[in-house]
This record gives sequence, C-alpha cells and structure tokens, in this order.
Amino acid sequence: MLGRRLIGEGFSIGPITISPDGFWGFLTVLPVICLYTLIAVVPIGFAFAASLHEIPLMNPTWSFVGTSNYVEVFNLDRFWASMWRGVYYMIGSTILQTIIGVWIALTLNKMEFGQRILSSVIFSIYMIPTIIVVLLALFLLDPFIGFVHVYFGEGLGLWENYLLGNTELAMPAAILVGTWKFSVFITIFTLAQLRSIPDHFYEAAKICGANTWEMFRDITFPRIRGALLVAVFLRSIFMFNKFDVIYPLTQGGPGYATTTMPILAYRETFQGSAYGLGNAIAMVMFVFLAIGGILYLWALNPDEEVDT
Amino acid sequence: MTSDRPFGRESIIPYNYRRATYRAGIAVSSVIIAIFAIFPMYWIAQNAFKTRSAINDSITFLPTPSTFTFARFEVVLSSRVLNYIINSLIVTAGTIVLVVLVSLLAGYGLARFEFRGKSYFARVLLFGYMFAPIVLALPLYLIWNRLGLLNTYLGLIFALSALTLPFTVWLMWKFMQSIPKSLEESAWIQGAPRWRGFIDIVLPQAKPALIANALFAFAIAWNDFTFAQILLPREEATTFPPGVLRLLNSQWETGYGDFMAAALLMIIPPLLFAYFLQSYLLQGFEVRSI
Repeated sequence: MLGRRLIGEGFSIGPITISPDGFWGFLTVLPVICLYTLIAVVPIGFAFAASLHEIPLMNPTWSFVGTSNYVEVFNLDRFWASMWRGVYYMIGSTILQTIIGVWIALTLNKMEFGQRILSSVIFSIYMIPTIIVVLLALFLLDPFIGFVHVYFGEGLGLWENYLLGNTELAMPAAILVGTWKFSVFITIFTLAQLRSIPDHFYEAAKICGANTWEMFRDITFPRIRGALLVAVFLRSIFMFNKFDVIYPLTQGGPGYATTTMPILAYRETFQGSAYGLGNAIAMVMFVFLAIGGILYLWALNPDEEVDT
Repeated sequence: MTSDRPFGRESIIPYNYRRATYRAGIAVSSVIIAIFAIFPMYWIAQNAFKTRSAINDSITFLPTPSTFTFARFEVVLSSRVLNYIINSLIVTAGTIVLVVLVSLLAGYGLARFEFRGKSYFARVLLFGYMFAPIVLALPLYLIWNRLGLLNTYLGLIFALSALTLPFTVWLMWKFMQSIPKSLEESAWIQGAPRWRGFIDIVLPQAKPALIANALFAFAIAWNDFTFAQILLPREEATTFPPGVLRLLNSQWETGYGDFMAAALLMIIPPLLFAYFLQSYLLQGFEVRSI
C-alpha cells in the first residue's frame, strides 16, 4: 500500500513534504551516501579525533593531548622536508606526464599503421598494477643483473652504485618510474577529446593554407584544453597522494630522501608507532589538498567541463 | 588584378617536404613510444621463462633452449603467491559487483528523478577525489579493527568501492542522460511498471557504461596497494601487491625470475581486458566524463 502511494502521490512527515520523485531519487543514491559516509566522512572525523590524542599503536589507549600533535607536526623538520619533497614529486611527475601523455595521444591519433595494436598496448599499461611496475624497476636497476643499471648506469656512466640508494637521484628515479604508467591517464583523456574533433575542421583549415602548427594551435588545442585541465588537476592530486610507487620502491629511503607526505604519515604511524601523530599528518595533508583543490577550481574554473 | 599566386598562403618550404617531415615525425614518435611501451613487458615475459642461474650469470635478451624453463611458474604457484593471487581475485570480483550495482542505481536515479540536494551531488562527488587513500586508510585501520573488519575481504571491498564512486557514479549519470527518456515512457504507456522499463530498456543501452565502470573497478581493485597494505596486515589475508612486496623484502630464497613469473600472471588479465574492451573504455570517456 505504502509503495503504491509513494509511486502515486508522495507523502508528508509534519511540515516536510516528500514527493515520489524525491523519495525514489533519494533511495537510489542512498548506497552511495552510505559508502561515502562509512569510508570518507567517518574516517576523516575519526582521524581528527585521533589527531588530538596520543595513541601508541600496539596498545591503543587514547590519552587526550589537545593540539600538541599538531604543534609537534609543524615543528618536525622532516615534516617540512617531506612537504617540499612531496611538492617536488607532484610537480615533476605532473609536468612530465602531461607532456608525454599528450605527445602519445597526438601520435596515436595520427598514426597510419598499427594504430589499433599500439593503442591497446598503451591502454593496457594503465591496467598493469603499480606494484609490478615497481618490481620490474627494482629488477632493471639491480646493481648486478639489472639491464638499465648495467647498460645506462655503468655503460653510459650516468650513475654509480645503486641508483635508488643515491640520495640525490632516488627522487627523479621515482618520478620516472611513476611516469611510465601514469602518462597513459593523460593520453586516455586527451585521445577521447581528439577523436571527437570532426575531420572537416582540419580539411577547411588545410584549404585555407594553415600549417600543422597552426592547426594544432587553433583547432586541436582549444578542443582538448578543458579536458586536459581536469586531467592535470586530477593527476596533481593523485601524485601528491601517491603512496604505492615510492613505498614499494624505496620505503621512503635512502634515509628520508624520498619520503613524501603520505610516506611520512605511514612511517610515523606504523614504524614510529605514533597513531595520533600519523593521523595529525594525514589531517594536515587533507586540509592542504582541500585548499589547493578549491583554489584550483576557483581560479581555472574547469567546472564548465564537469557541469551537466 | 589577377594573381598567379595559389589560393591561400605560401610557405617557403614546399608542401611535399612539409608533409614528408610531418609523416616522418609521426613515424619516429610511434616507434619511440612503441619501444618504451613494449620493452618492460617483453623484459618481464622473457625473464619469466629463464632458469635462475641464467638470470644471475649475465643479461641475455631471450632464453636459449638450455636456459628455457617453466620452473619459475611452478615455484610461484606452489608458494604463498598463489594465495595472494586468489585473495586479489576475490577482492576484485567483489568490488566490481558492488561498484556496478551501486553506480547503476545512483546513475539512473540522478538522471531520472528530481530531488532536493541533487545539484550538490556533483560537487560532493568531485570532492571525493581529494581523499588520499593514505588519509582514509590510517583511520580505517583502527575503525575496522573495532568493527572486526580488519583482515576481511569485505572491509577492503567497501573501501575500494568507495574510492571508485566519484568516477563511476559520474560516468553512469552522464551516460543515463544520453539515453532518451521517451523510450522508457513508451513502455510505461503500454503498461510496463517502472522496474520492467529499467531492466528491458535502460539496462541494455547502458551496457557501454556498465563495462567501462566494471573495467575501472577492476583496475582500482587489482592495482590497490595502499589499502590492502594497511587493512590486510595478516599474511594469509593479504592480496598480491602488498604480499609480493613482503616476500621481496623478506628472506624468502628467491630470484627476480620468480617475481617476473608472478608479474606475468598478474598482467595477463588486464592485458586481455584492455585489448578486448578498449572501445567501451573510450566510449565511456567520450561522454565527457571526468
């Protein structure tokens, strides 16, 4: 009976009237809201509460310490160092991935032979688990039997000893390892846009005598700009948050040379056994990202791209 | 005034040369891209079939008949790695099912019903990208511990599903909007109830988006390291990515050949999916989704 009434005319609880559309619409998004609450809202609240306590990991008794975890975080030398390393990793990765990703997309779009097979290979790279990319990188960089180490490190004299044990070169190496996989993300976004540009735009431009660069500047680029901004935005966030490249590759080492923010939060929590402090770092990370994200959306307004 | 000049603009370099340069550029680019894309996969594959001593003695580019062996796979499949791969399969299957159902329902609802707060939903979804796995996984560790979900498949499936929702719900929402409502309405006029119209008319048309979402859920779950590392700390419960790293850093008597064999087993499913389903993937992205 209730079901039929809901389909037909809706109902009201006190002053709130719920239309049938409102009821069923809300019901369809309810699972999303539940999952979101359970996995995102509750943990953020929990992390905030935990960050105000001192919690040894092995014996989780909570003792309230107020904001002293935050004071400690901002006074940690390795916090600021990790922050800058994280920003370096984020910017380096994003720039490299954007350039390479767009280059691959433009090439794939204009290839004459083997386009289908090469695009399959490129797309499948994004599906390869990151851990396997890292395993292979460790193998290739092995000081005794690694192909890249032997031919590029020793052969060309680019580096000595173990590349990932080098304080200065470990970070660029981590950027390159991630770039191999994640450039494809930019490629997929860009290629989807490129394919939606009608051929007659280019034909008309050619008849008017435009050269390749002019066609790119005036037809291609304006068309991919919007999607590219969104992709670059997402890539920056993901790279700042990236844990599963650096941690398996170097565990944040040598020393702290590749410890970015997520790695630091993990190390403080599970190696330093300071659960409260780890959560304080996570909260700071979250706030920084939220501010950065809001500024980006406000300044570049990729909203038109995502609006209905 | 008549002019002998050709229509349009002249360039100092004749068209044929420019055309040839352009085509050469594309060809060179594609060769470089192909080398960088294929070499790592080739390296995994060829080392997976070599004997341990062949890998340790020198760098070779193909296994010879005397160094060719399937022993690496036997080692991998008789060890804990098999257990990790099975755990990965279970978690991935669970995530795909949950994500596809939840995103299908929400996408339909968002596209067909008008309700309060709907306009905020897009922004809330977009904000979901701000949550770093590590930021969520640290608190979830103790929460799951209290709820008894630590070391369970279900705990990881929930976490991974939530991670995919910003993308999958968005995609389904956009896709549902591109299916004309009039098709459904004509079914209702002929007396079909709403659920019937949904199953017989909407569902078959939403197939590309369903496959794109399943593929995305697969990629996230199959790939996940961070959540599994933190939420599945127990040795027997963990999935492939954290499991294999623990093996690598432990004292397990092993060589890279074993890891390459395990890697080969792990990349075959994604390669097959990517090959056979790539048109769906692009179609999904072309709905101007983010």
